[in-house]
Amino acid sequence: MALGACGPADAPEQGERVIYRHSMDGVPGSLDPARASSVYNKFLAVNLFDTLYRYRYLARPYALAPNLALELPQVSEDGLVYTIRLKKGVRFVDDPAFPGGIGREVTAQDFIYSIQRHFDPGTLAEGAWLWQGRIVGLDDWKAAGSDYAQTVPGLRALDNHTVRVELTAPFPQFTHTLAQGYAAIVPREAVDHYGKGFSNQPVGSGPFTLASIDSARAVLLRNPNYHGDAFALDAEGFDPKRHDGLGLQQLSGRRPPFVDEVIIEFITEDASRWNALVSGDAHLIKVPAGQFDQVLEKRQPLTLKPEFTERFRYDASLESGFVYTNFNMADERIGYHPDPEQDVRNRALRCAMVKAFDWGRRNASFYSGIGRIFPGIITPGVPEFDAEANHEYVRHDLEGAKRLLARFGWNATNLPVLEYGFPASVTERQMFEQFRGFMVELGFPPERVQPLTFASFADYYRAYSNREVMLITSSWTMDYPDAENTMQLFFGLNQSPGSNSSNYSNPRFDELYRSSATLAPSEARTEMFREMNQQVIEDCASITGISRTLLFMWDRDLVMVPDRSFVGGFYLRFVDFDRAAEDQQ
Amino acid sequence: MRSGAYIFRKLVSAFALLIGVTFISFLLMVWFGPDLTYQSLGKNPTADQISEVRRQLGYDRPFMERYGAFLGQLATLDLGHSDSTGEPVSRLMARTLPVSLALVLPGFLIGNLLGILLGLWSAWQRGSMTDRFIMGASVAGMSLSFLVIIILLQVLLCTPWGLNLFPARGWSVDGLSAYLYYATVPTLSLVLITLGYNTRFYRSVMVEELNREHIRTALAYGKRTRAILFTHVLKNSLAPILTRLLFSIPIIVISGSLLLESYFGIPGIGKVTYDAITNGDQPVLKAVVSLTAVLFVLVQLAVDLAYRWVDPRVGPS
Repeated sequence: MALGACGPADAPEQGERVIYRHSMDGVPGSLDPARASSVYNKFLAVNLFDTLYRYRYLARPYALAPNLALELPQVSEDGLVYTIRLKKGVRFVDDPAFPGGIGREVTAQDFIYSIQRHFDPGTLAEGAWLWQGRIVGLDDWKAAGSDYAQTVPGLRALDNHTVRVELTAPFPQFTHTLAQGYAAIVPREAVDHYGKGFSNQPVGSGPFTLASIDSARAVLLRNPNYHGDAFALDAEGFDPKRHDGLGLQQLSGRRPPFVDEVIIEFITEDASRWNALVSGDAHLIKVPAGQFDQVLEKRQPLTLKPEFTERFRYDASLESGFVYTNFNMADERIGYHPDPEQDVRNRALRCAMVKAFDWGRRNASFYSGIGRIFPGIITPGVPEFDAEANHEYVRHDLEGAKRLLARFGWNATNLPVLEYGFPASVTERQMFEQFRGFMVELGFPPERVQPLTFASFADYYRAYSNREVMLITSSWTMDYPDAENTMQLFFGLNQSPGSNSSNYSNPRFDELYRSSATLAPSEARTEMFREMNQQVIEDCASITGISRTLLFMWDRDLVMVPDRSFVGGFYLRFVDFDRAAEDQQ
Repeated sequence: MRSGAYIFRKLVSAFALLIGVTFISFLLMVWFGPDLTYQSLGKNPTADQISEVRRQLGYDRPFMERYGAFLGQLATLDLGHSDSTGEPVSRLMARTLPVSLALVLPGFLIGNLLGILLGLWSAWQRGSMTDRFIMGASVAGMSLSFLVIIILLQVLLCTPWGLNLFPARGWSVDGLSAYLYYATVPTLSLVLITLGYNTRFYRSVMVEELNREHIRTALAYGKRTRAILFTHVLKNSLAPILTRLLFSIPIIVISGSLLLESYFGIPGIGKVTYDAITNGDQPVLKAVVSLTAVLFVLVQLAVDLAYRWVDPRVGPS
């Protein structure tokens, strides 16, 4: 007791500083935007560095907004040339990497350098796929040795504050790519100065600077020279129906970021995350699924128990991706087969397995019953989603599945041995056991449904990238709010080791994909996507899918609308404390 | 001279042990460690990009060449940068090791000290209600999961549902009071989980010693209880006690604090090691493995010397 009594009183004084305590359920690796592949890396990258564009804070559907750019890009009529003007007077933070330690102005050349880095093998970058084959001369620049003294024809600085990007073909998602963490702008001096250490020594022009980071937490400080425009409710997409009562009006006219310091706790353990929220060590958490029963009054509509609403606000939102189990179509036991007759039988087998898969039970067992089940690969979070689509594909129809098997001559003696791959974890194993249960109900002898376990996700990833896994359970987090991002998962040219892990190959699908790739969002393009979706469904190439619902809880004193989707880390600059409540106190 | 020769011989065998341990560890890391190739690539990579990344990660080099380079790094103490975070490994170790030591050392010392005292008392009172109570409590403590103890103490001491006296997470230590504020609950957790094991172990050592003839003789002489327990029993039990204490050191330094660090958000080396294993961060793993090997070798040397100190009959032969 005595020790505890000395603790809180002697804890570091916070004074007038406004400190927001954020929590993450994972740990970021590198802080270099070139490696901002995970949601955690990206969250930090877009706060320490600047991207040309970002997503509007409150607007749904998601919409782009200028960030370091002065306005949305001017696009030529043929969709090939983008002209982007940058804000003037924006400076990198002070750092020893600069002469005299004083941060210099961010210029168009910095943007070009930051994109080129992805095509420099020395960077070990992960974002090149966004622009590969898209920007005139960029791939050639890489092939010629990634020499920064050589210019890339498609990436030109017209002056210090204007960039001209020339594309090889129209790429309507190009502006979205400039809102990704990968596209954050870094100064060459800092990359050269810190070398590999740049991953841990971010030098950017974002709303925050890094004070410290370790395996437990990161501490960010407000960048006093941040260029952010004054907050405007309308521009951010304020909707009174959804946002009234959250106190967002107090942000109007003020320049972000609104807090002096952000402490981001990396808490992977569910119980610890919950205790951190309750104890006040974190102001916001993603509520662990195991805690749902404790905090929810009811699930439809999602309502918090009264004892929690007094202290916390909450929000439930669908993830920007989905979970699915792909059939490896390159595996003749279950996928394409050179013998046309067997090929038809394999398709029937896959379709029977799809019918036997009980999404309702999967949802109830692993997603607290609040995930959203949908047929195919167009997720509920994108404008192209069809809420009226036929749900037959995700309906549990065991009798229909058995009939299908019998019709095509499948029985307990000739069914193939299924190999269901997953990285070793308790949850993954439980998911496998449930899958085995579904298949046993269908008629598979239990010993013919085998787990294929891998020690780590990296090993699992390597195995299915090398086509060594028959049934690949995976999830996809979308990079931008456009169904093209999930369509490419089944495009023939993206087969393993690309993102088409099912190795799906359908000429009609590929033709539609090529035709739609250069089209701006439109009804015609949506129709093409929906036809592609139907192709995947008819070929039974994947057991899909479900989008998980994420539940966030945060302290009532905070004014915020958390988002783990496309807005992602961009909302951190808008987090504030409820000034009216403070005044009342 | 005989002691010098003894130490020299031990050092030579320690060096051989070090080479053996590093070789086996490296073999395991290379053959069974995660392959980071595809994680380090973006989406839809080409065959060229795959080989490029494999080259960057050094996966395309022959095993012995890689092992030789590893030994070279060890010799120069230049272990490069973490694959995950880019932080220099030496800086990472220097930053996290003291935190882990500060975190686990009090719990380790208190847990062992209490274990020795309870074990001694329990052994002296063996068969009595006191003995049964201590042993029963020890078994109960051993049966509880470390996780349960941590979460229970967090709820009891760190949340409004309990006393809310300490933080559930954090490590912002800049003085004694802050240290007590952040280290108390993790220390209590460590003591509670280790006390049962320690008490049972030390009790069995003491019971064995109490059954020896020289204790019976001391009792016959009418020596006082305190003298018997501390001068005769404890002193003559020092060899197994030292063995247990010293061999625990590398484990508590490297891995013993993993759960505490994870659940209390403490940036020590346990969490770094765990992340390095799961992420396949070989530069960090190499450093940790080497450090562990060196610590074990040093501990073994210390144990050998300590044996000679507590029991001069232990000799070079």
